Amino acid sequence: MSYLIVAYGFAAILLGGYLVWSLLKLRKLS
Amino acid sequence: MNRYVAAAAGATALMVLAAGAIFLYAPTDALQGPVQRIFYFHAAAGLAAFACFAVVLAGGFTYLWRESDRADRMARSAALVGVVFTSVTLVMGMMWAKPVWGAYWTWDARLTSTLVLLIIYAGYLMVRRLAEPGRQAARFAAVVGIFGFIDVPIVYFSVTWWRTQHPSTIIVSDALPAQMLSTFLLTMVCTLLLAVVMIAIRYRIETLADAAQVVSEPAPIITAREPEPVGGL
Repeated sequence: MSYLIVAYGFAAILLGGYLVWSLLKLRKLS
Repeated sequence: MNRYVAAAAGATALMVLAAGAIFLYAPTDALQGPVQRIFYFHAAAGLAAFACFAVVLAGGFTYLWRESDRADRMARSAALVGVVFTSVTLVMGMMWAKPVWGAYWTWDARLTSTLVLLIIYAGYLMVRRLAEPGRQAARFAAVVGIFGFIDVPIVYFSVTWWRTQHPSTIIVSDALPAQMLSTFLLTMVCTLLLAVVMIAIRYRIETLADAAQVVSEPAPIITAREPEPVGGL
């Protein structure tokens, strides 16, 4: 069960973090 | 800006829907238990990465054919998103492998070729970052992107070409029960839409960054040449 949590936790942090970082960068450039 | 935020919120909502299907709708695997649920997003992220690298391939060809800056920007954007999805695929695969195989990593053909894929496109991004921006960097990156794509069919068919620890493609072989298959297809569609949104946002960033670079470059100062002295004085 812990492997399942770590796997989806990693995916959520990486993809969510990337999405937020992209939007912040876009706001800075706009 | 607002429409990009709205698109990101929509893609996130779809991923929450997919997570609901993965954790609440799909049945627990009788043999592997809950850890099998890693499969849904692990495979979907891998296929999304393939789609991103196909965009890099198309963008590279289009750039070499027409020298289109838009195609180059599209390739750059898709390469970064593809690397993110490949990283997710590899790490989720490792988390699945440990309880099932007893090891996080094994040097079998599928895992190794996927790692090579990640390295190739990380190299592509490094070329873009380190090379002087311009025509030469874009042409070189297009060639790397085109030749790098050779690894994609190698990754996909590695499980049939070689004897691997990694299981073969069960979607094609029709081995999934209906509830698992529908959960996977929903996750696949949501993940592809997320990838499209991420590429669109990145494309906008690249467009604005290119425009800012053009503005910040100093214009060449053209001055009249001083007249040559006449008569050797």
